[in-house]
This record gives sequence, structure tokens and C-alpha cells, in this order.
Amino acid sequence: MPKRHAPSLPPSPPRADALAKALGAERYAFDARPEGCLWAGAFRPGALFGPEGGMAHGRVRGVDTTAALAVPGVLRVLTAADVPGANLQGIVHKDQPVLCGEVLRHAGDPVALVLAESPEALRAGLAALRADIEPLPGVFDPEEALKKGAPQVHAGRKGGNLLLGAVIEKGDARAALKSVPVLVRGEFSTPVQEHAFLETPCGVAQLLPDGALQMTVSTQSPFRDRFEIGHALGLNPFKIRVRAPHLGGGFGGKDGATVQCLLGLAALKAGGRPVRMVWDREESILAGYKRHAVRLRYALGAERDGTLVALSCRVVFDTGAYAHLGSEVMELSMEHAAGPYRIPHVRVVGRCVYTNNPIAGAFRGFGVAQVSPAFESLMDELAEKLGLDPLALRRKNALRHGDENCSGVRLTGSAQLTDCLDAVAAHPLWTTREAWRAGAPAFTRRGVGLAAVFNGMGYGRGLADMAIAKLELTEAGGFLVYNGVPDMGQGNSSAFALLASQELNQPPSAIGLVQPDTEQCLPSGSSSAGRTTYTYGNALLKACAAMRVKLLSRAAMALFCDNLEGMELLPGMVRHRPTGKSLPLAAMAGFLSRDDRVCVAEALMPVAQNPPDTGKSFFIGFPHLLFAYAAHLARIEVDELTGRVRVCDYLAVTDGGRVLHRQGFDQQAQGGVAQGLGYALLEDFRLAEGRILTGDLSTYLIPTALDLPDIASEAVEGCEETGPHGLKGVGEVGLNGPAPAVGAALYEATGARLRDLPFTPERVLTALRKKPRRRRT
Amino acid sequence: MNVLTPRELPELFAALAAPGARVLAGGTDLLVRLRADLRQGRKVPSSLVRLDGLEELCGVAREPDGALRLGAATTHAGLLAHPLVRVELPVLAAALADLGSPPIRNMGTLGGNLCTASPAGDTLPPLMVLGASVELASAAGVRRMALADFITGPGRTRLAPGEIVTAVLAPSAREFAVRHFEKVGRRSALAVAVVSLAALLRLDARGKAVEARLAWGSVGPTVWRCPEAEAALLGQRPTLTALKRAAAVVRARVQPIDDLRASAAYRSEVAGNLLLRLAAL
Ligand SMILES: Cc1cc2nc3c(=O)[nH]c(=O)nc-3n(C[C@H](O)[C@H](O)[C@H](O)COP(=O)(O)OP(=O)(O)OC[C@H]3O[C@@H](n4cnc5c(N)ncnc54)[C@H](O)[C@@H]3O)c2cc1C
Repeated sequence: MPKRHAPSLPPSPPRADALAKALGAERYAFDARPEGCLWAGAFRPGALFGPEGGMAHGRVRGVDTTAALAVPGVLRVLTAADVPGANLQGIVHKDQPVLCGEVLRHAGDPVALVLAESPEALRAGLAALRADIEPLPGVFDPEEALKKGAPQVHAGRKGGNLLLGAVIEKGDARAALKSVPVLVRGEFSTPVQEHAFLETPCGVAQLLPDGALQMTVSTQSPFRDRFEIGHALGLNPFKIRVRAPHLGGGFGGKDGATVQCLLGLAALKAGGRPVRMVWDREESILAGYKRHAVRLRYALGAERDGTLVALSCRVVFDTGAYAHLGSEVMELSMEHAAGPYRIPHVRVVGRCVYTNNPIAGAFRGFGVAQVSPAFESLMDELAEKLGLDPLALRRKNALRHGDENCSGVRLTGSAQLTDCLDAVAAHPLWTTREAWRAGAPAFTRRGVGLAAVFNGMGYGRGLADMAIAKLELTEAGGFLVYNGVPDMGQGNSSAFALLASQELNQPPSAIGLVQPDTEQCLPSGSSSAGRTTYTYGNALLKACAAMRVKLLSRAAMALFCDNLEGMELLPGMVRHRPTGKSLPLAAMAGFLSRDDRVCVAEALMPVAQNPPDTGKSFFIGFPHLLFAYAAHLARIEVDELTGRVRVCDYLAVTDGGRVLHRQGFDQQAQGGVAQGLGYALLEDFRLAEGRILTGDLSTYLIPTALDLPDIASEAVEGCEETGPHGLKGVGEVGLNGPAPAVGAALYEATGARLRDLPFTPERVLTALRKKPRRRRT
Repeated sequence: MNVLTPRELPELFAALAAPGARVLAGGTDLLVRLRADLRQGRKVPSSLVRLDGLEELCGVAREPDGALRLGAATTHAGLLAHPLVRVELPVLAAALADLGSPPIRNMGTLGGNLCTASPAGDTLPPLMVLGASVELASAAGVRRMALADFITGPGRTRLAPGEIVTAVLAPSAREFAVRHFEKVGRRSALAVAVVSLAALLRLDARGKAVEARLAWGSVGPTVWRCPEAEAALLGQRPTLTALKRAAAVVRARVQPIDDLRASAAYRSEVAGNLLLRLAAL
């Protein structure tokens, strides 16, 4: 049984990256600019004419490179014909050309790659390129794409535009829904979301004289990148070295190749010179991956006392032109579609569909952020219908340790959603809500909403969620942690340094970090899926334990002790307590060989035993066993004159198991909420026939500091027995709460249930017009 | 591209006489445009002539007729920090406080905002209701004209080649008891106005409006005035009932467009609604 209130670890030191980042000294992939490097840039003709013109589907008849090659400083113009290997990238499904030779499937598809001596020459070269492209009818709506006769995004593909159809089923929802005493239904939609990381995709690559390709790139998945590049370009993946310094943000958008294959191709043709590629903001929005837009149809049935009985849900995913992680994201959506509740009868049907829209892929809250507004809206509707308190209804049905969840998995891990809800219920922002609401100023309505959310951790069944930690005693007597999972800013490498310092009983200054480098570090999977600190952390704890035993034993030998009794690892030394004899770590490092100064250990995330007999069409990733939970509360003001929504107060109570580093934990909760509030209220990604209308950050608006309230973050201290020191991953769950919490608050304020995100002023004002009277509660 | 920093007006005019020369104030509009031009292979100016070396273009002073003289190259932050602006031109101060973000206000200038002549330029509606005029100078001499005449369309002004705006002359709004500016953007900072309203009402001893000046941004090619709505408020106290009547006039007459930020219908409705706020002041 998970315990509550396990004793806390000592107070956390500042993040290991704090000083270097505050001083601007941290070197990102963006900062890599080797002497004499060439510049590479992709030619994406579908977007050439701005939002007015352009095209998202067309047959490539030819690329005229003459004028571009005549530009001084332009060295090479590469097309599909120059790509060795499969010319196909993709994490699971390889369906995305590095350079398109035949068909353009979305407005950001590249048909040529220019190599130039300078950014100016590159720009001129790109401007001089011409492509002859025959427009093809496109398909921009996933439901249209499934109709007979719809244009085919991948002509000749078995299955047509349907990338994946899948079902998760438990009990008999169809029958149960026919006989439930209370039923609520609804149709919802969630939009495309852009990651808008500060550091756009970028990197440098170079082909070395021995034929090895080396690359420093802003990536969440350096080890897997080798295989993606190797497959696409016909290279031996083990002759590719990828380094991933700190990222200036990732959020899922750098999980999978962005610049990697293009850069690799450029390096192959650069005569051994280093090549740099940086996407500017417009290119990043045009060619980068996005959050999937989803349409959802729901029915939820309950007993009169509020006990949930059955849920049915159908989702349609728009994965855009390429598969990327479409099936996998939809898998998470479907697995979370019924919310963090106990429901005996569940049927979730999903279809993931190709269109000529931008490519969708991984985004923090991976599929879960798309379903949480829907299931939580229905929970509120149900509470209202039954005359129950929305918090009490959630508490009554909340999944607990030992329950079977909606895909039929027995929750053997920690599950403390009820504690999260209790913390909200006791919080002044909740207990004072009536008075607060009543104090609304002129032309203002106030509302308070809450949401209960969760997020699975790890890769799920079928793909080993493994990390391999490497730890070295340095010659100076300190320690180096060879991090295998990139730090996108979430602070995992700081957590590793902290774990090592605690386990080895050394001051933080004695612990150094090597950021991911496929040559020095060991394969540890991607920085994603709430797994980073969990899985690598577990491996690191094992490596630390091995290191401790190693040091005590080697010291015992040198200090003429017969056994390890009384030997202790202290800051900078090993000591034999009974005699007081000690040996400095630096001295030990001097007589240990390099091999002997290194400890390596791996860890594997557990998966569900006896997996349920459903979800058969998922190739990998179904089901998950461990989840983080959270209860969120939003207090908002709606301006009756403009429909603008101001979020006044926000509370996120998170169950992330044991908290290792409070600051890091709070930052994850707050960052997730900030991004989730953008998703709820602002971020309105607009497309017309596959062309992006919001192609920069002056039209695609993300929240500024003034759009965000102070975000209170609370932790329910628990313990996930399988986690490093009891922790769970909390990187994603925070993003799933704001949209439903704000949606509920909007209902309270306006009397209207908004079911299409984002809740723009225009939608809110329309809702207000339909419900002019202030609701009495 | 050359960047020149003249210290005196004659030097400035000489620099501007060169073919392809362009005035650079804070650069917050110009540099954004230049980047887009560069990306799309369009022609860019051969030289940029900075204004910030000329002291006479900066600062706030009192004119003999009591109006305030706002140097065209004064930054938004500079104006906002000036007590005379805050006290006598609160509608302008409110607009400046909402313009862009701190870095934009530290770089951007009033002259730049006027010369950009964007339908969404935040300082334009307040300056219109204040009855401001601009002072223009070139090698040929100095002239003045009403701001309403100066801006002729989106991005278009009466600036002659080689001419610059040297100052904005804004009469004090002290005798207007009701002074209001509100900008509706899609977010709370760094947002282009979707609709904005500047309003000044002069009231008599009984609280009834004897003069009403209203100006909207972002609902037409340039700042939009609505004399019919102003007339509807005359002789009335600014009560919700009176304001609702005027708002209906506004909604019936305003002809905004659809764009990415909002639909025409939303703009019309909000253009009217914003008047109601005066009831809560
Ligand atoms: C991120 C961002 C946010 C913004 N937010 C807002 C906002 O909220 N509200 C708003 O209204 N604007 C906004 N702007 C636009 C811009 O900041 C303002 O219009 C600003 O006032 C422009 O002033 P400037 O000094 O930077 O002009 P510049 O860019 O230097 O010049 C603009 C134009 O005017 C000409 N010019 C400048 N001064 C003179 C002069 N004295 N005489 C003759 N010609 C001149 C220049 O040649 C150029 O053509 C924003 C811009 C950015 C980049």
C-alpha cells in the first residue's frame, strides 16, 4: 500500500542548471557554431506564397536549381535523388520523406536542401529556387478523409487515409448505457497546439574522415535519432554520434527527427565541413509537429447516487500528412478517455486519420489533454443533473490504489486522487468561493471550476521503458553522472545530480553532469512520457549503490579492514569509523583504473501483468500501469462587454508520489498549467486548406506573464513504491487540468457549456448573449 | 545598409535626401518589416537614419497655448513616466500603458506609432479625441496639421518625401470629467487591438454631457469616429440607459472587417459594448 506522509528528504538545493542559465553561460545546440561551418536550409514550396497562396497537396514535377546554384556562396542544392537510403523518416511508421521527390503532402514539406557558405547566401539561394508542382485536391478534415472517394494522402496505401482504428473495451457499455438512470452526452473538439519552444529546432553535423557522422542537436531522443537518421540516409546507426545539450524547451515537439535527417544529409554532401541548420520561428511552426486536433463524441451514464456505470467515447484524430506518433498519441487518449474514475462498462473507439494538414505528434499531455476537457465537462453536467457537489461526485468515483481502471488494468501503483481532491476541498480558494463569486464587480461574472485529471507514465507495454545510468568517480575524487535522457528544461538532470549527491553523501558541488551523448552515455530512451526522472533515476540509484559498495570495498582493502563493517562514505572520503582511518576519494581515484571507477546499472519500468484482452490493434504502448494524478481549481472573471476571460487564481494539487525536489516539482506543475491555460483560452491555430494562417507568434498567441495568475502548487506526499525514492513523473499531468477547470468555471459564470477549445472571447461573448441572465446558484 | 545618427536637423534632412534612406526611430515596426522583406527577397532601404541623436525630438514641454508638446522621438515609456502626460492626458497614458510590453515601450516612439498609421495603433484614438495635431519638418520648413488630416489610410500619411514628424501637440483634457481608454486585445500584453475606444465627456454642473468625443481603433481603415453616437449622448447623464442608446447607434453604423483576430460581428458588438463601461467609471 502506498503510504502517505513519508518522511521528507532534506531541503532541495538550487537546480544544477540554475546558475549557468541565469548567467547565459549554458551552451545549447543553438550555440554550436563551429569555425567554417556551412549553412543548410530547406526549400518548402508549399508555403512559398504566404497564407494567401501556397498549397498543401501536389505532385512534384521538378525542382529548378539553376538560378539557386548561380547564387554566389551556394554550394549544393540537394533533392530527393541525392538522398541515399530509404529517404523515409518516422519514429514507428516510416512514411515521411526527408526530401519529397514525388508528392507534397502538407504545406511544410521540403523538396530541396540548400548548402551555402553564409546565412545570406542561403537565404538568396532559397529565394532563387523554383519548383514545378502540380496541385492535387487535398483533404483537410479527418472525417471527410474517411469518406469514399476522398483524396488519398498516401496513394496506394492499404487502409487508405485511416492510419489506425482501435477499440478499448471493458464490460458492455452499449447495453449498460441503454438502461442507466441518468445519461449525459456531448460532442467536443480540441484544437491543434503549437509547442512554441524558445529554442527552435537546430543543430550542427559533420562527417568525420573515418566516415562517422556526428551531430549536436536540440533533441529529446538522441539514441533513437541514430536509427531514424540511419534508416533514412542508409547509414550504420552505430557510426552516428548524437549529442543533446540542454534544450531550450521541447514539450514533445523534439521527440523525433526535426532537423536531424536534413542535417545528416547536408553533412554527407559537405566535403567534411560542419553544417549548421536552424529553423526560424516561421519554419518551426510550418514544418514542426503539433498537438493533434481531435473530435470527440461522448455518453456517460450513472446511477442516481452518482456512481458511474458506463461510458462510451469515439475520437477522431487528425494526424496530418504523416503518421509520426499519431497512433501512439491516440492510444493514450483512448486509455484516458474515461477519466480517472471507476467505471465498469467502457467502450472507446478511435480513428487516427491522415490529412493534408501539418504533421501532428507528441505534445506534453500526449493525447490526454485532448480528452480531459470532455470527460470533466460531462462530470460537471452529471453533477448538476443529479444535484450533487461536483467535487463530491469526483471523489466518490475517483480511482484508488487497487482499483481496476477503465481499460481493465489493476492499479498496483500509488493513486491518490482523493487526497488531491480533499486538499482542494479544504483550500480557501474553494471554501470561500461563494463569497468571492458574489463580489463580482460591474460587468463582470465570476466562476469557479475544478478538474480531476491524470496522466500515464512510461512507454506502456510492448516497448521496454529502460534507462541505463553510468556513474564515474573522477580523478579529482568527485563524481560524474552520464545522463542518458535530455534535459529540455524540466530539470531531470538536476534531479539526477541531487539523487547522486544524496546517495553518495557528497556535497552538490562534487557531482558533475555529462549531458546526453551517444558515445559517452548509455541508451536511456527519450525525454518524454513522464518517465525521464523515474526510469533513469531508478537506474542511477542502482549505479550509486554499486559505487558505494565499490568504494567501501576498495577502501577496506587499502585501510587493512577485513570487511565493510564500520566503513562509511563521507563527503570526499571513505572512513573506517571504529579506527577513524580514512581515505580521500581523490586518492582512491588515483589507484583505481578507469574501468574500475565506473558503475553502470539499468532499470526497467514495470508494466501491467495480465494485460486486459482489449486494445489489440495498438502495436506498442497499451496499457499503462502507473499514473500521476492532480486536482485543479480555477477562479475566473468573465467580462460581459468583451467576453474576455481573466484567470484570477489557480490551484494545482498534484500526486506525484514522493517529492524529490520541491522547486522542480512546483515548476512542472506551474509550467503545465501555464501551457494548459494557453490551450484553454488563447492558442487558436488556424488553417485554411492546409495552409497555416497563424504562422508566427504575432498571430499564434501564447500566454504572457500578464495572462497568468499566480499558480499555487501543492503536493500530496505519497510514495510510489517502484519509483526512485517513491517519486512519479509529473511533467505532463499539469497540462491536462486547465482546460476543464476553466471550462467548468465558465459554465458557472455564463451558464453555457463551451465544448470547443479554445474558449475565445468571441465564443464566450456568444455564449453570454444566449444566456443573458446571471445564474442563481 | 548604413545606419546614420545625425545630431542636428539639417544633417538629418541631408541624410534623408539620399535615395533609399529611411527614418528609424525605435525600429519596433520598421525592423519587423525589414526582416519580412529580407526573407521574401524584397528591396530594403539603403540607409537608416536614426532620430535618437536629436535632442529636440525628445521630451515633453508646455506650448504657449497650454497644449503639451510631445517630442516625436520620445519613447512610450518616456511619455508614460512624465507627470504632465499622466495628469493632463490620462487617455493617452492609459493607451501607452497597454501598448506592447515593457521592451516595446522602451524602444517604440510616439512618432513611429503615428507614421506606421496602423488601424490598430494604440495612441491614435486617444490623440484623436484630444484633438491633437502634428508638427512636421523638412528642409523646406515646418508645418502643422490636425492628426485627423495627417493620417489618410492604413499605413498612409501626408508626410512628404524628406519630411519627418517632430512633435505632437496635444491639448489638455482636464476639463473633461469622463476620460476613458480601453483596448480589447486577444491577450493582456503584446496584443494588437481587436477594438479600442477612447472617450472624453465634458459634463455640466448637473452631470449632463455638453461635449462627447469618441474614437475607436481597429474597426476601420483608420480611427473611426461616430458623430451620431456623440450626439446621442449630449444633454444626457452617462447612465447605462443613455450609453446603451449610443451603443446601439455605434453597432448600427460601424463597419469593421473579419480577420484572424476577430470577426466583424464581434467587433461591431464590442465597439458598442465598450461605451457601456463609462457607466461604471
Ligand atoms: C512585439 C510588438 C508589439 C507591439 N505592440 C503594439 C501595441 O500594442 N500597440 C501599438 O500601437 N503598436 C504596437 N507595436 C508596433 C510599434 O511598436 C509601435 O507602432 C511603435 O510606436 C512604433 O514606433 P517606433 O519608434 O519603433 O517606429 P519605427 O519602427 O522606428 O518606425 C515606424 C515607421 O515610422 C517611420 N517613422 C518613425 N518615426 C518617424 C518620425 N518621427 N517622422 C517620420 N517618420 C517616422 C519609420 O520610417 C517607419 O516607417 C508593436 C510592435 C512589436 C514588435
